Amino acid sequence: MRFHVIAAALLWAAFVESRKIRGISSSYKRFYRERKSFLCIDGSKMIPFEQVNDDYCDCADGSDEPGTSACPRGRFYCTNLGFRPHYIPSSRVNDGICDCCDASDEYNSHVRCQNTCWNLGQKERAYVEGQMKTLDEGLRLKQQLIEEGVLLWREKQAQLRELQRAAEDLQIKLEEHRRRKHEADRLKEQTLKALKAGDKGLRHQNSTVSHLFQLLDSNKDGSISVDEIKAKVVLVHDEKRVLSEDEALTLLGGGHQMDLSTFQNTLWDVLIQGHDYKIKDAHSAPGGLMSEDPHLKAADRAAEWEATDLKKVEEAYETVNMEISDLQRKLGIDYGTDWEYLFLNGQCYKLKVYEYMYTLCPFNMVSQKSSAGVEVSLGGGCGQDHQRTTTVRWCTRTENRAGREVLAPLQSL
Amino acid sequence: MATFTERMGPVLLVWLAVCLGGTWAVDKGNFKTCEQSAFCKRQRAIKPGESPYRALLETMELTNTRLTLQLINDNNKVRLLLELYRLQGNITRVKINELKPLKPRYEVPDVLIREPPTEPLSLLSQDENGVVLSLGPESQRVIVSARPFRLDIVEGRDVLMSLNSRGLLGFEHLRMRKDTQAEPETDNKEGADPANQDENTKEEEEKVEDGMWEETFKSHTDSKPNGPSAVSLDFSLPGVEHVYGIPEHADTLKLKTTDSGDPYRLYNLDVFQYELYNPMALYGAVPVMLAHNAQRTTGIFWLNAAETWVDISSNTAGKTVFGKMLDYVQGSSETPQTDVRWISESGIIDVFLMLGPTPREVFSQYASLTGTQAFPPLASLGYHQCRWNYNDQEDVRSVDAGFDEHDIPYDFIWLDIEHTDGKRYFTWDPHKFASPKEMLQGLMDKKRKMVAIVDPHIKIDTNYKIHNEISSRGFYVKNKDGGDYEGWCWPGSAGYPDFTRPDMRAWWASQFAYDQYEGAMENLYTWNDMNEPSVFNGPEVTMHKDALHGAWEHRDVHNLYGLYVHMATAQGLIERSGGVERPFVLTRAFFAGSQRYGAVWTGDNAAEWDHLKISIPMCLSLSLVGISFCGADVGGFFKSPSTELLVRWYQTGAYQPFFRAHAHLDTPRREPWLFGPENTALIREAVRQRYTFLPYWYQLFYLAYHTGEPVMRPLWVEYPQDPATFALDDEFLLGRDLLVHPVTEEGARGVTAYLPGKDEVWFDIHTFQKHNGGQNLYIPVTMSSIPVFQRGGSIIPRKLRVRRSSTCMEDDPYTLYVALNNQRTAEGELYIDDGHTFNYEKKEFIHRRFSFSNNVLSSVNLEPEAQFTTKSWVERIIILGASNPSTITLRTADGINQLEFDFDASMSVLTIRKPGMNAGADWSVSLQ
Repeated sequence: MRFHVIAAALLWAAFVESRKIRGISSSYKRFYRERKSFLCIDGSKMIPFEQVNDDYCDCADGSDEPGTSACPRGRFYCTNLGFRPHYIPSSRVNDGICDCCDASDEYNSHVRCQNTCWNLGQKERAYVEGQMKTLDEGLRLKQQLIEEGVLLWREKQAQLRELQRAAEDLQIKLEEHRRRKHEADRLKEQTLKALKAGDKGLRHQNSTVSHLFQLLDSNKDGSISVDEIKAKVVLVHDEKRVLSEDEALTLLGGGHQMDLSTFQNTLWDVLIQGHDYKIKDAHSAPGGLMSEDPHLKAADRAAEWEATDLKKVEEAYETVNMEISDLQRKLGIDYGTDWEYLFLNGQCYKLKVYEYMYTLCPFNMVSQKSSAGVEVSLGGGCGQDHQRTTTVRWCTRTENRAGREVLAPLQSL
Repeated sequence: MATFTERMGPVLLVWLAVCLGGTWAVDKGNFKTCEQSAFCKRQRAIKPGESPYRALLETMELTNTRLTLQLINDNNKVRLLLELYRLQGNITRVKINELKPLKPRYEVPDVLIREPPTEPLSLLSQDENGVVLSLGPESQRVIVSARPFRLDIVEGRDVLMSLNSRGLLGFEHLRMRKDTQAEPETDNKEGADPANQDENTKEEEEKVEDGMWEETFKSHTDSKPNGPSAVSLDFSLPGVEHVYGIPEHADTLKLKTTDSGDPYRLYNLDVFQYELYNPMALYGAVPVMLAHNAQRTTGIFWLNAAETWVDISSNTAGKTVFGKMLDYVQGSSETPQTDVRWISESGIIDVFLMLGPTPREVFSQYASLTGTQAFPPLASLGYHQCRWNYNDQEDVRSVDAGFDEHDIPYDFIWLDIEHTDGKRYFTWDPHKFASPKEMLQGLMDKKRKMVAIVDPHIKIDTNYKIHNEISSRGFYVKNKDGGDYEGWCWPGSAGYPDFTRPDMRAWWASQFAYDQYEGAMENLYTWNDMNEPSVFNGPEVTMHKDALHGAWEHRDVHNLYGLYVHMATAQGLIERSGGVERPFVLTRAFFAGSQRYGAVWTGDNAAEWDHLKISIPMCLSLSLVGISFCGADVGGFFKSPSTELLVRWYQTGAYQPFFRAHAHLDTPRREPWLFGPENTALIREAVRQRYTFLPYWYQLFYLAYHTGEPVMRPLWVEYPQDPATFALDDEFLLGRDLLVHPVTEEGARGVTAYLPGKDEVWFDIHTFQKHNGGQNLYIPVTMSSIPVFQRGGSIIPRKLRVRRSSTCMEDDPYTLYVALNNQRTAEGELYIDDGHTFNYEKKEFIHRRFSFSNNVLSSVNLEPEAQFTTKSWVERIIILGASNPSTITLRTADGINQLEFDFDASMSVLTIRKPGMNAGADWSVSLQ
């Protein structure tokens, strides 16, 4: 069908050829109706009609020579059937260079121009079709990216919300654990105090002051002597060595004897803490006497447990908060109105130009690395002493890859 | 192109900083003054007075072609041999050499186009005081006076020129070095013939001055193994107040006296950011001076290629106009006189006295010695778009497209050094210019052309074919120790081919063959820059004088080097086409004879109004000494022009022979369309005017090639008797018929042009307004004004259909502009050929003469044996200063036709519509 139309058009064109004024568009035909004379379009002059396109410039506006190169500022209309029509300066008529694809500008020159309009038209149509296709495809891809972006955005938003919720929970938990730790610590303190006070109701006999006193008072004379100390007390870290006279004296507070009441206020404390000294052959050594007390042991264990728990919760809380601020930062970047550029986040592209390797990580950094290995940041990040910026030319394609061109980085020194 | 410092790598930046000290001007300290140049200082110290030279008349020999005579220096008894020739065309040649030099002294080869044909000399009288010889039929005589020696050339009762009249002849004979080489001295004595016996004793009395055997300038030491060898001679020009020529200097057309400063220096140098209005040497040297007064024009051609200084003094120089008038009124006093003194570092005295008497005859006399302007391809007269640099093929493509988009014609786009692969000439940057043929084809499709730079410094790189070949053939210039001379230039360390060797030049030429120069096509032409030669780390940025060119020192050949580079390159372009196509080669350095090889530009100027102004005298000075194809970088090379300056420069350049815009690498882009639509239009219009006048330009270049007459002329050349024209250099003539007074002042509202010729009339080419000659005319100007006038009495053919390039206009019709004089007559010529081959030498051209008289305009064949056909026809005849005819009749071989016409009574302009005859035909048009 299309072929018929064109054939008809060609036939028609051939038919009207005899009356055709060369170099004008159909909208100008009304100025060139064949009469006795021709009025220059600017109205400046009336000339015989034979002088239209006679290769001599009569009209100042060049309107008498639309089809020749005679007028200095004239223009020639390329009909370019099958392609786009356009004007060329009349100085390009018969200059030996093919300008109109229909070859109409070189009707009297030594060059043989081919009529390439049909091919060009076809190419252009194909190109336009291709462009349309690409555009469609591009729009589809964009839509996809937008959808992905939106999904991703929502996902991230949900993630954020979840994290924030978790943070709130953790906050509560944290309070609870702090409270519990505090409680445990207090309990431990109390136990320790009670133990010290010899509260029998709560303490095992072995741990009482008098029992320990009796253990040390080998000769049962009601006071502890230097020898008795040397026989029963050793250094925690060196059990084999017998204490020296001086060490024993020191433990006895400088005197040679110590009675129960003095013992309760001095040495007992030292031994019960079990940091430096202990009773020889006492089996639960580092815990001192304290460890031998099941109540104290339990209180201590509970306090430790609570501390560990609190630390864990604190760490979790911190992690969650960090994640939240990271997510918030990312969500704060402009990813386009529809989040169509969101997918670029976290991607990096590399491009080699001559001796340079450029790396572009959108929303993050750009760098140039020469083959010699010197890497220069071309922007991104912040707080750099050289303010460099990179212009990235964005070309949309149907597939995703780094563009061919890298514009020279703008650098202000 | 740039001078060295601007283009140098970081290595030299520190040096640059030190050198320039942040100021923007030439660093004079880098270049010698006469005082710092030992031979100049020695020779200039000779004071006028009794010359020690005496002519030994008894040694005179006169043959049919020459007179020889010995001269003796009475101070040291060294004898010189004087040769005197009468050459055809009213030229006298005087040669002075040592009678028996220790070793041969350099005589400049390859500058004269042939051994000049002589005419017989005859002895008129002789006595013990001298001899009188006849110089042919014109009652011209040469008087040789014996004691002291002196030559006077006399015509009738007038002395035209005197040599050694002030006794400044100096000839430093070659000698053995005494302080260190006593032995050879003795040998020399024994070997000397009896005539020299008594001289040696005298010689010993001559003091050894500083700088005779070694000279240091800045950090450079010039070893002078041959010792002192300078020559100098004075010339007196009675009746002369105006002397011109001796380019290249950035100075006024009329040369100034040099008594209070340095002499004009001729030593080809790459001067970074040259200063205006001073006698410092620049890139080229043509040792030719013209002397002019209202009665006569003469010329002095000092054929010496060594460093040369020219002193000028005048007995009227100090006088005010009032003082001169007083002299005149009182009928007083001495005749004005100009005295000049030439001083060269080595070689011999070989001087051609061109005796005119008219300017035209001096041009033809000089042309008979050194040849005429190479006839350029027509396209090279179009507009050239250059920049350092067009970055890559895409850049070239887009600039080319820019011209089409803005409808501005151009013919050539240029590539500077960055197009090469690492400044290795004859190569292309593999990334930026990966497919040069594709690029050249793109230009060819638009009938446009390209020029790529090829400099004579060769990168020392064993992976570079050109270097390897030159090196393996031993073609490099040698240093004083015999190794290859190495200097620093664009590529870094570089060698300099010895272009003085014919075999080197032949090899160089062969490198332009299409199978050697990869990527070249027939629309690629060449630019030789840096051929002074420029050596960044050399003394005065050039080659060491003790470098060796075979047997000769660089000292002897320096000013010739650039000519040889240009010669070999032009030869290469001719050979690549099998001798068919005309070459186009631009050079920066030049010498007498360079006109035979192509175009010259004024080097690295600056975007300043004064640089625009100086382009006129600089090109006029070159034109006077044979180099017609001259231009200055439009826009200015260094710095960035204001829009007004750029537009004015385009308007000026459009009317100068070589029309090329160029810009430094560091300047912002300045293609014609970058300054807003108004300025684009102004530039477009200037370029279009150039293209409409291409037929006239071409005809002028044919004339220059044919006769040696300059294309661009000072007004005095055409109005030699009008003293008002003698010093004009803000306006000029193109041929005889176009007077151009470009606007070269910032913010100008008007210019005052001198329209010469009391009986002449001049027509404004734009308005057709008629003005009388012999007046200063004030012309109001706007930004679009280019004041240009056509002489009444002339006919200028133009092509008004301006197209993309000159080649596109080949077959276009002509419009004849007939400007009538007061006698209602006019004459003009038209020359047509194929525009690019040497076929014009085989008489394949059309050469017509148009003449208008008695109301008949006719075209006759000036060269009946020439054969050429053209498609061009005559589309329009515009007669300026016409009256209204009733009918106009065209007569051709085909019959008689009535022609239509239009008469504009307000301007008296008659336009004859479409006569239509072929431009090569015989025809006449009569007005009744």
